[in-house]
Order: sequence, then C-alpha cells, then structure tokens
Amino acid sequence: MIAYIIRRLLLLIPLAIGMVVVTFALLLIIPGDPASVLLGQEATPEAIATLRANLGLDDPWYIRLWDYFAALAHGDMGQSIFQSQPVSTIIAGRLAATIELAVVSLVLATILGLVLGVISAIWQGSIIDTATMLLAQLGVSMPVYWLGLLLMLLFAVNLGWLPAIGRGEPLLDALAAALSGRPEVLIKSLSHIALPAFALAVNSAAIISRLVRTSMLEILREDFIRTAYAKGLRRPRVIVRHALRNALLPVLSVIGLRFGALLGGAVLTETIFAWPGLGQLTISAISQRDLPLIQGIVLTFAIIFALVNLIVDLLYAAVDPRIRLG
Amino acid sequence: MKTLLSTVSAVGLALAVFSGGSFSAQAAGTLVVGTDVDAGTLDPRLARDSTAYRVADLVYAGLVHITPKLEPVPDLAESWETPDPQTFIFKLRPGLKFSDGSPLTADDVVFTYSTLLNPDFSSPIRALFTPVKAVTAVDAQTVKFELAAPYAPLLTYLDVGIISKKAAESGQDISTKPVGAGPMKLASWNRGSDITLEANPDYWRGAPSIDKVTLKVIGDNSARAQAFEAGDLDVIQSPLSPQDITRLAGDDRFGNVKMAGLGVTYLNFNAKDPLLADPKMRQALSMLVDQQTIVNDIYQGVDQVASSLILPSSWAYSADIKQPTFNVEGAVKLLNELGWKDTNSDGILDKDGKPLTITLATHSEDPNRVQALEFMQAVFQQAGVEAKAQISDWPSFSTNYVQQGKHQIALLGWLNIVDPDRLMYAQFTTGGPTNWGGYSNAEVDTLLNEGRSTLDQAKRTEVYQKAATILASDLPYFVISDQGYQMFYQKDLPTEVQATPRGYLRGLIGLND
Repeated sequence: MIAYIIRRLLLLIPLAIGMVVVTFALLLIIPGDPASVLLGQEATPEAIATLRANLGLDDPWYIRLWDYFAALAHGDMGQSIFQSQPVSTIIAGRLAATIELAVVSLVLATILGLVLGVISAIWQGSIIDTATMLLAQLGVSMPVYWLGLLLMLLFAVNLGWLPAIGRGEPLLDALAAALSGRPEVLIKSLSHIALPAFALAVNSAAIISRLVRTSMLEILREDFIRTAYAKGLRRPRVIVRHALRNALLPVLSVIGLRFGALLGGAVLTETIFAWPGLGQLTISAISQRDLPLIQGIVLTFAIIFALVNLIVDLLYAAVDPRIRLG
Repeated sequence: MKTLLSTVSAVGLALAVFSGGSFSAQAAGTLVVGTDVDAGTLDPRLARDSTAYRVADLVYAGLVHITPKLEPVPDLAESWETPDPQTFIFKLRPGLKFSDGSPLTADDVVFTYSTLLNPDFSSPIRALFTPVKAVTAVDAQTVKFELAAPYAPLLTYLDVGIISKKAAESGQDISTKPVGAGPMKLASWNRGSDITLEANPDYWRGAPSIDKVTLKVIGDNSARAQAFEAGDLDVIQSPLSPQDITRLAGDDRFGNVKMAGLGVTYLNFNAKDPLLADPKMRQALSMLVDQQTIVNDIYQGVDQVASSLILPSSWAYSADIKQPTFNVEGAVKLLNELGWKDTNSDGILDKDGKPLTITLATHSEDPNRVQALEFMQAVFQQAGVEAKAQISDWPSFSTNYVQQGKHQIALLGWLNIVDPDRLMYAQFTTGGPTNWGGYSNAEVDTLLNEGRSTLDQAKRTEVYQKAATILASDLPYFVISDQGYQMFYQKDLPTEVQATPRGYLRGLIGLND
C-alpha cells in the first residue's frame, strides 16, 4: 500500500514535465506576446523590442524551456509578467478559495446525486422517478454560466436572501469562529458560498444521480438482495447496507473525474460570482499572455487532479475488498 | 452632469429601506464600486488597466488634475509658466506630504518622470512624453520640463501620480504598496477580489468626505449589474451590457449619468494594401457602413454616431466636418467608376476577371464589435463586395496582425483621447509609431506638427479641424462611433455625484472641481 502510494507520487514527476512541455508548446503556437499587451496600443515598436529582450522572450524556445525547468527544480515557478509578484505567491493566495468551492460543490453534488438517484431507483417508473430524471436532464444540459446568473437574479436580486458576489471568511476559519461562539461568521461564509457552490454542483449532481439510479436498479435485481429480503431484513436496511454500498463503486470513480470538471467549471463560476480563486486568474492570465502564470496554474491544476484521482483509487480499495492496489 | 442627492429625500430613503435587505453595502461614509478587472499594478507609471488608473487617481496626486471638461487645473503644482514653448516651469504647493508623512519635493517629481522616461522601465505611457528632453529640479519647490520641440498636449498628460523617491529607492514595492500624496491611501488589496482605500488626511485639500472606498472586481458585466441591483455595490460604470443599461435606467432606485466618453470605435484601412491604396476605394467602402444601425441596435444608443476624428467631448470639435455617410447606391456607383462591375452576374463585383474580395477583422473579446463586424459583412455582401470576417483574440489580432500592417480593414478602438493630438499624431504622420496602415500625406504631417507646436487653443482648433477635414475624405480611418460613458449609482449615496468621462472617482468622494 505504502509502496503503491510512493510509486503513484513519483509518477507525478513525468506528468508535471509533460504538462509543462505541452503548455509551453501551446503558448508558443498561439500568436500574441505579453510585451505588446503590457505596453498597450500606443507603444512604439522599439519599446516593445526592448521589453521583449528584458523579459527574455527573444531567447530560443529550448533555452526558455530549460530555464523554466531549472528554476522549477528549485521550486521557483517564475515571476508573473503582469502582477510583478512570484507566480507561487499569486497561486498560493488563490488556491484555497478554488479548492474550497470545488470541495463544497463536490459534497453537495454527491449528496444530491445519491439522494435523487436512490429515490428514483426505488420508485422506478413512478412520477417521482420521471420528475427526478427530468430534473437531471435539465441539470446536465444547463450551462453553469447561465444557471449562475439565474440563481443570482432569484436569490440575490429578487428575494434578497443571499449576497450576489464575493466570499466570506475561509470556511475552516469560519468554522473555528463558530465553535468559539461567533456563529455569525460561519453564517456569512455559508451565505456567500451557497450560490456559487450550488450552481457548480448542479451539473455533477445530475450526472451522479443518473449513474446511481442505473447501478441501483441493476443491483436491486441481484440474488443477494432477494436473499437479504428473504432473511427478513427490513427494506431501508437492505437498500442502504446491501444495495447502495455496491452501487457506490462506479459512482466513486465518477466522483474523482467530476472533481476535474468542477475545477474547470470553477473558472466560469468564479468569474460570475466574483469568487477570488484560480478560475478568474486563469482567464486574465490567458488573455494577457502572462506565460509564467499560465504555466504555473496549469501545473497546479494537473497535480491536484492527479492527487484527487490517487485518493479515489485508495477509497476504491477501501470500499471494495476485492480490489488490491499494488 | 451634477445631481444633488440631498434633493432625493423621502422617496429614495424609503426605497432604500425596502430594497436594502440584509446585505446592503451602504454604511456611513463608505463607497463600494464595481469594476471589471483587477488592477495589474498600483504603480502609476506602469498602470495600464482602467482599475489601476482609477485607484492611482485616488492614491496619488499629479502636478495637474484633469477636470471632467478635460482641462488641466493645479493639483500638486500651485502654478506654472511657459517662458518659451519648449519650457514648462511648475511651482509646487508648500508643505506637501505623502501619505506616510514624508515631505513631497521637486526631487520626487523629477524621480517619477525620469524613471518613466527610461526605456528600460517600459512604461506604457512613455510614448506620450517622447518630446520631453529633461526634467530637472530648480529648487525644492520648482520643477522644470525641457522639450526637444514644442508639445502642446503635455499639460493634459501631467496628471501622472507622483511617487515617493525615498520609498521607491529604499526597495519598497510601489506596485503593491503604493505611497502617494492623493486623497486616499491603500488599506488592503485582495488580489482578484477587492481593493480597499481609506481617507488620507494629509492630502493638500484635506481628507475627502468619504472614509472608505472599496473596489470589487466582478469580471462578468451582467453579474456586476445584478450585484448592483442586489445592493452589494453602490456604483457601477462602463463597460456595461446594453441590455442591463436599459433595465437599470428604468429603475428609479438608481441615479444615472450618461456622457460622451473619450474613446472611438473605428475602421482601420490599410493604405499600403493595393486594393485600398486609392482614397476613392476607401470612400466607397465607408459608404457601406451603416453607423446608425450599429450604434442604435448593437450599442443600444450608448455610443453616438461619429462624424470625424475630433470627439464631441473635445474643445476642437466641429459638427461641420463630415465623413461619408451610409449610401449603398452611391457606394456601388463609386465602385463602378473605379472599374468594379458585375460582368458575370454572380452578384459580386469584379475587375479583370477577379472578384472584389476583402477581409474584415476584429477581436473576439468585445461581442458588440463582433456583431458589428458580422452586420457589416452582410451589407458588404449585398452591395456586391465579397467580405470575409476574421475574428481572433486581442493579443493575436493586435500584435501579429494589425500592428504589423497585415490587415485590410480592421475594426478596433482608441481610448483616453484627452487631446486631439493623441488620436492623430502617432497614427497619421508619415512613419508614425502607430501608423499601422502606412498612411502618408505631407499636408497632414505639416498640420499635425503645427498642432503640437502652439499653446494657443484657437490656433490649435483651426489646425486640427483642417487636418480632420482632409482625413475625413482621405479616410485612413473611418470612425464608426464615439464611445459613451455611463455610470449608475444608488440614490442614497452620502455625497454629491460628479462623473468624468474617464470614470475616475474623485467626484464621488466629495472632491468636486
């Protein structure tokens, strides 16, 4: 087990190198350079040339790539061209917000997906089933961007229940504050995260609920379920202990993949709800051609995604004793 | 443009109470402003986005301040004189202080401008100061600007914030920890989220009447408008989506300011392209641009139909200078005169067996421009011109395409045109740094040089009007619209509102001109 984890972690190194090379190549191919974006339309060609030289953009690509790796080996992701701050500082300042949003969304999506999926599987063919699956269809097809604006219109503008934008105290800090007798801090944080987390969760919840429904229906027809009923076990116990536990396996692997989708979806959600995470940063970095910053963000996302998948694989083994890692 | 808020009493207050909810941003003496981008830097010499400009205007003070009517008035400088057209001497106010308490002297002014002029510093506004030869301190209170040639627009550019030489030289990062002598100072900056400023009691006019200003970054135009409606923001301003503007303007909880802005949207004709080298060809194609429909239906009337290169917000404006206007028949007649006729009846004009094909290009970030381009493409097509639309993102479009003169017709814009010189000199003089279309006309060169050389505004007006008249028929540019500036504010703001076409905020914190 430990050896397995270490091997998987070591695999991160070639993955990181591959990601950097691919991103680097993409950035070489797309036209437009940061020097002219930085200097604006009024800049003279000489000024752009000077800045290009100062930024090292005139060096051949292999030297730039080599320099990047050499710095990366020392843990240095370089300096952002536009924000005049180290890339690692900028990302560190934003990462927690994005992870918080993605994790809360994932939890929300999983709970919603499980509950809806189980309900519609148990009452297959009923009105509840049809309604739930219709809802799921809607959830899968609705772009997060549009849903976000609709939710904001309803809950912030018309009803005035929740704030439209921004983030409260980080959730963990807010939780600590609530435990030390200041529940209003936690309420504020939750009220801020509610809309973006829900908007982001809907799509994944819909996908998970459909998957849960299908695999529940399959398992409810298995012999061991009939045996369980025959033993005289009550229905809730059979559904939760016997059916759901087995139906969870395929769901678990999807949840891991959904985390990647949530990180991607966070890019749009954050822009709408002014959530100060990596998503917003990604968009501005790309439009400004802030090369070191784009590299750093892509690398961070890739590593997080790989780590989450490792955790999912470990959970897999924990849930299903038949699976051995090694 | 002034709206006295004290007159909006009972009704406004009652509405505010009912609509405020539990998340109203409004508290005594604070102001929350929505903005579309985070500032890249708070160093005024390197500012390049609208948020950086707006924050710098509050955190710093320049030698002069530019009023909403675009006139320079004394700010840190008490007075100035021009003993000859190539020398400006500024006298600083006595006892000026930075927000950290240290004194502001002529050395700080010299330091600000000499670093800005250093090519290695790569300031985006360095090009505006090209004629400046030297900036020197005569004594602690006096600064002298020496120019290589007379340069009339200089005064309108001298609102650049003066930075503290001591802070910069001691290694403090001015871009994140600014020290200025403006009406406010930086309290906190959460990158990508918000910038909070607090009143600076050391400003020479005294502390402003607002204690705290927060700029909240919301990238999406519609989301920003909704956050404003929900009461999370006190003020929002251009850029706004036309649909949101219509809705907000009809809501009597909100005050509304609409004025001529400082930007233009225009077509850049590549005069070096063999097809477009003849001004007649450019005239014919200009007559295919339906400005009225673009402005009214795509820009929903926020922008105005433009008639020449001089903006309506400028002192040099004249309604008598007119570019060609929309006239499809006239355009086709002109094209026929140039030898383009539909000989094979395929609906496309041709000459020497070749169809009349042209590429229209713009950038993808601005949906209104994309829509305008596609609309123009349709009209061109109907008139028998085979038009291709090419749309790419801004860095690809600007650096690798238009700025290298690879375009035929490009749709783009200029901003911050505080002086007519800024839209004409670098753009139209022969070999000018932003003359991407390679336009050249000796008479225009002479006029534009004359426009810089005299400080006499009447003389300058005459010169620019002459140049604009020539350019309106030569058409290196066809100006489609003059951009409008729009601001919405909650009617229960604690101060009087004075808007400026640049969207600066001093007029919202009690520092009116």
